Amino acid sequence: MTLPTDGTRRRSPLLALREVSKSFGAVEALVGIDLEVHAHEVVALVGDNGAGKSTLAKIVAGVLSPDAGQVELAGNPVTISSPAAANELGIASVFQDLAVCENLDVTANVFLGQEVRNRLGMLDDGSMEVETRRLLERLTVRIPSVRTPLRNLSAGQRQAVAIARTLIGEPRIVVLDEPTAALSVAQTGEVLTHIERLRELGLGVILISHNLNDVRAVADRIEVMRHGRNNGSFAASASHESILAAITGAA
Amino acid sequence: MAGSQSSLREANRARVVDAVKKHGGLTQVELAGAAGLSAATVSAIVKELVAAEIAEVRSTVRSGRRAQLVTLAHRVGLVAGVVVGYRHLRVALADVSHEVLAEQVLPLPADHRSDTSLDRVALLIVDLVERVGADLDELLGIGLGVPAPVDPATGMVSVRGVLRGWDSVQISQVLEKRLARPVFVDNDANLGALAESTLGAGRELRDLLYVNVSQGVGAGLVLNGRVHRGADGTAGEIGHVQVDPAGRICACGSRGCLETVVGCPALLEPLLPSYGNLTLRDVVRLANQEDPGCREIVADAGATVGGVVAALATGLGPQRVVVGGDLAETGEVFLGPLREALRRRTLLSQAGGPDVVPAALGLRAELMGAIALALASTDLFERPDSTDDEGAGR
Repeated sequence: MTLPTDGTRRRSPLLALREVSKSFGAVEALVGIDLEVHAHEVVALVGDNGAGKSTLAKIVAGVLSPDAGQVELAGNPVTISSPAAANELGIASVFQDLAVCENLDVTANVFLGQEVRNRLGMLDDGSMEVETRRLLERLTVRIPSVRTPLRNLSAGQRQAVAIARTLIGEPRIVVLDEPTAALSVAQTGEVLTHIERLRELGLGVILISHNLNDVRAVADRIEVMRHGRNNGSFAASASHESILAAITGAA
Repeated sequence: MAGSQSSLREANRARVVDAVKKHGGLTQVELAGAAGLSAATVSAIVKELVAAEIAEVRSTVRSGRRAQLVTLAHRVGLVAGVVVGYRHLRVALADVSHEVLAEQVLPLPADHRSDTSLDRVALLIVDLVERVGADLDELLGIGLGVPAPVDPATGMVSVRGVLRGWDSVQISQVLEKRLARPVFVDNDANLGALAESTLGAGRELRDLLYVNVSQGVGAGLVLNGRVHRGADGTAGEIGHVQVDPAGRICACGSRGCLETVVGCPALLEPLLPSYGNLTLRDVVRLANQEDPGCREIVADAGATVGGVVAALATGLGPQRVVVGGDLAETGEVFLGPLREALRRRTLLSQAGGPDVVPAALGLRAELMGAIALALASTDLFERPDSTDDEGAGR
């Protein structure tokens, strides 16, 4: 997981969106958006409601396809035609609603739709439990038992399960849409720590959030979107005020 | 396997205690899952632990059902330790034997505001108290560390400008108003020194220097067995000793302070063109993976810090220098050059001068120190037992 020292990291990002546009009828959701994500990097997308953050995330996740523009993965142009295609390309996403099943336990949720079967075609519960424990360990998630049904877990723990699920199949890019919305401070701490872990594991992370505090705590770079357009790129050390100005259009 | 019945029992007991420690508090059902034991075994072990006064059980409600919450015993009371760093906030709850019952880390943005961060400290403490199934009035006190000199008389940051946004903030009053518990504030390196001298690498020693090199640089002095804070709490502020007379202007207003040379931004800057955006933790990890560039940066920092520590050691004559903080996590990569600089520039007594060792408590030294400060500042026997309500609380 060592970084290339010759500057190649800068030349060829893991994921690049070039001049991507998307309209819904008269609504211009995205207008010529550029975005680059490197390995080992947390890129935050911030912006007002309707700035196009979630549309962009859905294009990366294969839920929507762009009207114009190009998506490149490790330098090669790709078409992400469906969420399954995104998965195959190594892009995993967690959306705001999490899409977890309350009645199933942690293991079943982590492997939902990607269950491991043995030679006889039966579910291989044992190896799935072992793998789930390993994933939770890698993220330093504290959940008492992988057999706990999701409805017994806190909101922060559910978010952790949803993040752990993205790690199935060794992805390179993880998209997180508002992962800290409606969490307590302690749970926010847990989730932000998981995001730091994803970065340490060498993944590229796209983090969408309204909370500038959370974003500035873990992001390497902050991309501001405004009315579907890029409206500034900031280092994480940039001041709260300057980022806020770009979001509101004051600058 | 033969004759291992009792050792199996011991091992199961240890698994249960470890699981409770890790999660703070668990219901018996959750405990069975976490320890990987049957409900009956867990129930028997919990009974034993309660009888031995190691654990406590109380009724609680989980997802609408009544359940038995198991926590470690903390009848005498709890204390909270808080360390506000440049980029992380650490909060822990401990019992009176310094045993940590629950812990939480929250990453913070650069130049975080004191009002937001203190608000989060208060909420985290309440959250953790809840996690261990306790009540806020069981909290005896709160120890809090900040990366700046703290005036022991006022509990406020005593030097303007070194911790942006925290000048003239009455830290303890803000928290005491929120939580109605006593709050004790100190410099983070002093807390590290306190912890290492009472619980860590300096337990038998009377004179020791603790040096922390993370986002910033600081030192804590233990002289004759006591933490020495100096006038206005500025003792040991080695981050603001001049090492480069032609250097950059520091946040404190002087030129070429140690912090402008080995502080986090200065440390990362030379790596930027070839490595891109790294964090301090990346540098530590890469140095540990034998990356030559990162090792170079860390080793140079060790030598520079060693020069300043040598001057301080010449003045104070400590028996030992304990090194903590993120850079100490690289082991000899950082400690080696620091030791070498110290050896070259201090008077070597026949015993060989102070030895240089890594912090025994590692990255938790400051947090353990905050807990120790809270424990040392509160009188345990003044408080009524949690079972009766005589005597006025604060």
